[in-house]
Amino acid sequence: MVLKVFRWTPGFRERIQRFWVPAREGMTVLDALVDAQRRLDPTLAFRYACRVGMCGSCAMVVNGRERWACRTLLKSLRTGIVTVRPLYHFPLIRDLVVDMAPLAEQNARVGGAFVPKEATPAAARIPAGAPERGRIDPAIECIGCGMCVSACTMVANDERFPGPAALNRLYTLQADSRDGAHEDRSAVMLSEDTLTRCHTEMNCTDVCPMGISPTASILALRRLAVRGLFR
Amino acid sequence: MAKRPRRILRRRWATTEGWRGTRAGMWAWLVQRGAAVALLLVIALHLRNPFIRPVQAVLLGLVLLHALLGVRAILLDFGLPVRWHRSLLVLAVVVGAAIFAAFWGWRWS
Repeated sequence: MVLKVFRWTPGFRERIQRFWVPAREGMTVLDALVDAQRRLDPTLAFRYACRVGMCGSCAMVVNGRERWACRTLLKSLRTGIVTVRPLYHFPLIRDLVVDMAPLAEQNARVGGAFVPKEATPAAARIPAGAPERGRIDPAIECIGCGMCVSACTMVANDERFPGPAALNRLYTLQADSRDGAHEDRSAVMLSEDTLTRCHTEMNCTDVCPMGISPTASILALRRLAVRGLFR
Repeated sequence: MAKRPRRILRRRWATTEGWRGTRAGMWAWLVQRGAAVALLLVIALHLRNPFIRPVQAVLLGLVLLHALLGVRAILLDFGLPVRWHRSLLVLAVVVGAAIFAAFWGWRWS
């Protein structure tokens, strides 16, 4: 198979480099990249850690779509030519490696940290069967791989838009009755560059490997924001 | 030393690769916006001469498409499960086609 890989080093022009890699049964895109790096070009830079779909660090754009390289079987792509590019909307460091700092910056911008209510006892818990937990649970499993941010077209058009990952985090906090900063975040929620910027294109939802729907979280935040206006 | 500007890649819509990962939700949005832009042109044509049948048909088709995809977006906004979004897209197109066919049979056949 042919691996077409985006190559870029600061100060040099970008290029697409082709690697011929022997495809084996059960081979993933990450396996192919490791093979290319070990046999053909040790300068090829890409990031990975767990190799089993736990950490999300091998997120990249494979054949035009955000995927985890370690969980993408070459066979599933049904093509002999596989194009690999770094995630969109993140600053490039080198080749397929991007700087994930914007994810933390976007999170900070929306106040994405839990602020306990003063009156909450230390042992306060939301029961497993509580409706509140049912609303939060589907959104809580984000591991910050950044694929939703890469897939979101609005992130590309408005740099003040916090992006799907940060807004999904925001929803988990705004829906949490133990959190005491709901009012503080309402100004962010109602600003013109936050919830209204989402055009419900579902690109983030389509690519999330954890099965999270940031779109659903953003729509739920909109309803919370509107309800807040009438309180 | 001057700090080098950050290099950030963006999806290139003029390339086939930029479109490879495009799915139902994105198409629904694009078609609705595309229909809105096309409506501006078709309304202008319709106002010049309201009795041209093909223009009337295209106008009705675009209005139905734009409106029903808008209803889909409103239903999602009001809390219908997001996992239904593909079904709602199909439903919008099917209902639009049915209304178009019914109107055609009633007034234009």
